[in-house]
Amino acid sequence: MDLVNEILEREQQKADKYKPITVEKHLDVEFDIGTLVAFDTNDLDSKLMKSEKDRDSYLESLTRDNTQLLLNKIWELSTERIDEAIVVRLPQPTTVMPRAKPVPKPKPLTKWQEFAKAKGITKTKKSKLEWDEQLQKWVPLYGFKKAAAEKEKNWLIPVPQNLDPMTDMYEKKASEKSEKVAKNELQRLKNIARARKVKIPRVGIPITSDKASSTQLATATSVAKASTASLGKFQDKLPKEKDARGKGVHELIPGKERKRKLPVPTPAAEKENNLSIIDRILKKRPKIDMEKAVSKHIHEEQVQRSEEKRSMKPMKGKPKGKGNATNFSAKKPKGGRGQRNPNKKNPGRKRR
Amino acid sequence: MGRKAKFDETKKVKKGPGRKAKKQPDPVFKKELLADDKEDKKLSHRQKQRAARRLKKKKELTEKRKALKEAKKKPEKDTEEAVSALDDETPQGFTDDNKEWLKPKKKGLGKLKEIEAHSDESDDEGLGEDENDASSKDDDDSEQEFKDTKKSSKENYKVGTLDDLFNDTDDEQDETLDNEETGDSNKSYNSDSSDDSDNSKDDEDEDMLPIEKANVKLKQKQKLDKKLADEEMQLNIAKQDVFAFPSEEELQNPTSLQDVHQRVKDIVSVLNDFNRLKEEGRSRCEYTELLLKDLCLYYSYNEFLMEVLMQIFPVQELIEFLEASEVSRPITIRTNSLKTRRRDLAQALINRGVNLDPVGKWSKVGLVVYSSTVPVGATPEYLAGHYILQGASSFLPVMALAPQENERILDMCAAPGGKASHIAAIMKNTGSLFANDANKERTKAIVGNFHRLGVVNAIICNYDGRQFPDVIKGFDRVLLDAPCTGTGVIAKDPSVKTTKDQKDIQRCFNLQRQLLLAAIDCCNAKSSTGGYIVYSTCSILPEENEWVVNYALKRRNVKLVPTGLDFGTEGFQKYRHHRFHPSLKLTRRFYPHTHNMDGFFVAKLKKFSNVIPEPFKDEDDEEAGQENENSESKEAEQNGDDPEDQKKTLQTGVKRTAKPNTSQPKEKKQKTDDSTQPTTNGNAESKNNQKTKKQKNKRKNKKGQKNEGQGNQTKQEDKTIEETKQTIKQNTQQDPKTIGKAKIEKSNEEKVQTKSVVVDKANENTQPNGGISSGSPKKKNKKKNKNKNKTNVQDQINKNANKITDNIEISAAKKLKNNNKKQKQIGQLNNKKDKPTVETTKQNTQQDIETKGKAKIEITNKEKVQTKPVGVDKVNGNINKPNILPSNESSGMSPKKNNKKKNKNKNNTNTNIQNPINKNENKITDKLEIAAAKKLKNNNKKQKQIGKLNSKKGGKEGIKKNLNKTKAKG
Amino acid sequence: MKILSEDRTRLLFEKLTKYIGVNVKLLIDRPDGTYCFREKKDRVYYISERLLQLAHTVKPDHLISAGTCFGKFTKTNKFRLHITALTYIAPYAPYKLWVKPSSEQQFLYGHHVIKSGLGRITENTPKNQGVVILTMSDIPIGFGVTSRSTTDCRHADPLATIAFHQADIGEYIRSEDTLV
Repeated sequence: MDLVNEILEREQQKADKYKPITVEKHLDVEFDIGTLVAFDTNDLDSKLMKSEKDRDSYLESLTRDNTQLLLNKIWELSTERIDEAIVVRLPQPTTVMPRAKPVPKPKPLTKWQEFAKAKGITKTKKSKLEWDEQLQKWVPLYGFKKAAAEKEKNWLIPVPQNLDPMTDMYEKKASEKSEKVAKNELQRLKNIARARKVKIPRVGIPITSDKASSTQLATATSVAKASTASLGKFQDKLPKEKDARGKGVHELIPGKERKRKLPVPTPAAEKENNLSIIDRILKKRPKIDMEKAVSKHIHEEQVQRSEEKRSMKPMKGKPKGKGNATNFSAKKPKGGRGQRNPNKKNPGRKRR
Repeated sequence: MGRKAKFDETKKVKKGPGRKAKKQPDPVFKKELLADDKEDKKLSHRQKQRAARRLKKKKELTEKRKALKEAKKKPEKDTEEAVSALDDETPQGFTDDNKEWLKPKKKGLGKLKEIEAHSDESDDEGLGEDENDASSKDDDDSEQEFKDTKKSSKENYKVGTLDDLFNDTDDEQDETLDNEETGDSNKSYNSDSSDDSDNSKDDEDEDMLPIEKANVKLKQKQKLDKKLADEEMQLNIAKQDVFAFPSEEELQNPTSLQDVHQRVKDIVSVLNDFNRLKEEGRSRCEYTELLLKDLCLYYSYNEFLMEVLMQIFPVQELIEFLEASEVSRPITIRTNSLKTRRRDLAQALINRGVNLDPVGKWSKVGLVVYSSTVPVGATPEYLAGHYILQGASSFLPVMALAPQENERILDMCAAPGGKASHIAAIMKNTGSLFANDANKERTKAIVGNFHRLGVVNAIICNYDGRQFPDVIKGFDRVLLDAPCTGTGVIAKDPSVKTTKDQKDIQRCFNLQRQLLLAAIDCCNAKSSTGGYIVYSTCSILPEENEWVVNYALKRRNVKLVPTGLDFGTEGFQKYRHHRFHPSLKLTRRFYPHTHNMDGFFVAKLKKFSNVIPEPFKDEDDEEAGQENENSESKEAEQNGDDPEDQKKTLQTGVKRTAKPNTSQPKEKKQKTDDSTQPTTNGNAESKNNQKTKKQKNKRKNKKGQKNEGQGNQTKQEDKTIEETKQTIKQNTQQDPKTIGKAKIEKSNEEKVQTKSVVVDKANENTQPNGGISSGSPKKKNKKKNKNKNKTNVQDQINKNANKITDNIEISAAKKLKNNNKKQKQIGQLNNKKDKPTVETTKQNTQQDIETKGKAKIEITNKEKVQTKPVGVDKVNGNINKPNILPSNESSGMSPKKNNKKKNKNKNNTNTNIQNPINKNENKITDKLEIAAAKKLKNNNKKQKQIGKLNSKKGGKEGIKKNLNKTKAKG
Repeated sequence: MKILSEDRTRLLFEKLTKYIGVNVKLLIDRPDGTYCFREKKDRVYYISERLLQLAHTVKPDHLISAGTCFGKFTKTNKFRLHITALTYIAPYAPYKLWVKPSSEQQFLYGHHVIKSGLGRITENTPKNQGVVILTMSDIPIGFGVTSRSTTDCRHADPLATIAFHQADIGEYIRSEDTLV
């Protein structure tokens, strides 16, 4: 009996070490066995939560209880034995888990795919091998051994009637092939460009050096000029050459710092600057201006003449109606029709 | 105004993006206007001669008549002399031609009249006697008069029956006189038929000459005819006049517009004398409804707008308004004083064949264009920026704004820049001007106009006005010419008539409210010269005007000040169920039919604190009645403490009825002032009970007002200023102190201008004297106290030591009463400060405090407390001073005076050198005599003048070197 | 509102000196405050320093104009004076040209000044000189460039062009939208 008791006691002690598998909960815990999740909707004991020392133990016990419940739930499922291990098939999870990363966007369709979609064309699977009647054997559609098969097949190509008899049909075929490849490549690139929304010319290809616009050429020259060890400092300029301007040009030219906004000088400094610029401009001006000199000379002459006239008149003592004061006496009187004085209105003058 | 010029007169100018952008059309002139000039036509030589002959003839006639009379008088007895005096009365019924031979026989009738209606006719008789006694020189006139009276009496028949017709042109006096006369004549007719009169006639017949008999007969016949005609007319009128209410079918198919017009007239006449002329069983509503429909039909308005208009105007005025809205106003132009003078401009334009006149005495830059041979919007003068096309009404807000030089001014809705450029012109291109408009397209018009007019101090920007406070604040003055429905400018844009409905108006005034609040926020209350906001619209609807201003009054620390415009009608204080703040009387309205300019509204606000008060709890504006009640009471409270401007308005407005009562209990109330119980109780009640609230508030207001009044009067009677200040302070501050000294705290804070919104609110809720407005008397005190606050306290204490007998108290009380009755303005009171006066009142107030059982020590303590804010004042003196000055200016003086003062300042501080032309402005004389300019049309003179001007200008250009070198060559 | 680069300042001043000569200095060096030239969207504005400070508070997108617009830099980097500069050019211009009232309108529509419309002209005006054009009543109505000197004018044909039209105040209504 002692032994029995002892064993029982030991078992009891062992059992005491573990908590019971039944857990009492005020509200039932919700489970999602598919994702092995349990939701405990019971209130936390706020008093315990606040106390420093009890909090951890409280949370620990809570976790244990809930885990126990979850395991109980799992054990309720039908089990099976596979390779000495007890296995449970979990049901479909019901909880929707959030994604860590955004859902990838669908790849943009290629031009052909778009077209096929619009037309309802579905892809038909082709077998990789095709029976070649001529060679009487299976030939791959592409890839390994396809080229060899072709070679074997086309050991001789007849030149069609309408063609130049001297054409090299092999070469023609090769070029056709390469062209096809190139076209495919172009289409691939175009598809990519379309997917990334890159602007490409509708026809043809982006400009190259052989057909650049004037601005591009100007930019190129500016860049080239500045691309010396001294950053273009000693490069000569053509008579009417201008530095390239425009958006993004400045950044291309080596040695030029990124444009910073000019520091706004103080008003006084600005005024000084402006005045110095003005002075420079005004200083530059006095060149010999032929036009001005000539007109000045003419003007002086005119003034002189008119003064003469004025001084002559009283001397003559004649009414100015007849004859011109400055007329040479040697000439024949012209009755006011001769030399005209722009300052005077001559009634008798013929008008054009 | 910067629109595309109308080079092709036949084509109508394309309408711009907005109403204002429209170019003013060429003037259409009423015939009356044109006729005006011809009225005083000079008589030609022949006409004069003829007139002289006529006069001579008449003289002869009168001589003859006189002779006849003398002859008649001789046989007559002395007793009949009195009768003869009446002779002049009788010829009324006759034409001039008949007068001569008809005259002698009228005695009998005259007698009758004298007997029966002597009293009524006494005036005319007197006149007649005079004439008889006097020489014949007056005869002409008297004849004329007779004619007039005759005419008027004829009219009178019409008038007597249709006198309610609104288009009756006779003035009242005439009418009454005429009425008397008609009554008279009627009586006489009655008497004619009676036997007595017959007898008397018979008696007289014996004395009469045959011709006289014939005359009498004729006269009787005429009378009979007249009587019959009269009766017939009465019948007709009775038929016509009790205007037949049209039946349903008639209403359904209106025959013609003429009929509708006639019906409108009829209804108006009926409505004017409703009791007499109404059809049985018809209510006034039916008539007004019919009128509404007819007006809508005739003037093609939509019903909603017409309904609103009917609420604004009485019926007669409404018709006038509608008529006036059909014709467009004459073109007015504004001289650009930056570039030219009005006289020069007028001269130049007259030379181009433009017929113009000054717009009126109120403006020195406006010209009215009557007719023009050239397009006014495309003359070289226009292009050179010498003037701008601008409606006369557009001058008003700028004049109200009264910009000063070197200020920072904002025009929030500036396009197309007419008003903004006016501001710049007044500022003489100094300071800075922000011209903002929400519409980017229309800002181009501002740019164009500003450059054309030579405005160089402007920044033109394109913001939504509501966001402007986020951009920049602190303007000295802000002009907000808010976008509106344009009901004042229907003549310019008739589409308003049909397109506007409730929603449009609501949308408008919501925007306007927000804009006005933004404008107020932009303004700087501490500005030394300004702190003014002018709000204007070209609408006449109170929803867009008074209501908006009222809204702003509640939500910001602003008050209304006089606009400085000496004409225009006062703004509404009540409209339908709305009751606006009484100070809205200071706003101005302009109507097309009364002022011959576009319908307009101008309000001038003064900002007195930069603190934005917390929004009121009565947010729901839809319950306007309730809200208005509250607001009214609240604002009234504020007014109570805000003596300078609003006391007067209050007294005339809300308080008027209660005045006689208030004088008596005033004393009591002041005594109980310290107890503060009425104030707190009143507030509690007002919260609890909506109905009693108003009354209570009123009472409170009265009290506040009284306090103020007393304070002011004490001021008047006190010798020294400080003392009065102190007393006022006591009056105003006793309440808060007892409440818990919250007020002192508050006042301090207010002075320091920190944002103590919570305290503000507390004050508003707990204490009737109002947090905000209570500041103003204090501020005033501050100013004055600045120098003497230290001695002040001592004075106060000394005064307290004085014991005053009851007798003095009573006498003082009496004086107070009298003063209250007089209701003098504070401005006046201030003027009288220097007067030697009795100290008693001041002491009186102090004694009140004492009698209440408050220990002197307590008082002195209080005063010590009071000195604290004073100290603060001193520190903040620089900041606060600007606030005080303008308020005194604006309230104490009449607006005109203000202007004068400002003008003086202008002259003194004119230091503008940048534009040579500006200098010339100094020379501008005050009186621009266009007439003189007209005379100067003489070419020689003109040339001389121009020559002079040229030389002046040239001299000022400051480039004498070059000028010497390069002399202009003819 | 950015400051003009030195190149552009030079271009601007060169243009201005064409019209007002040494008086450009008066524009820069003013007794009533500092004034400066600023550039916004290739337009050049002449603005007082004080006003400029205020204008900086307005965001560039919302700023339409500040001070007086003098003109703009074309895409080919030349400076073109606008009519809006007339306010400052007219009083300082040493060379002036007056047109007769009959040809005022013509000029205001953008035509050149021809001999028959010439009222008077400043003496000694050289060829290709910027001039301010005024009416006989001394109202400046635009500016232009002379095609003949004063002396040449005397002998010119009545229909010959005396001054080429550069800008006129008719533009205020002709091209209000593109003014600035």
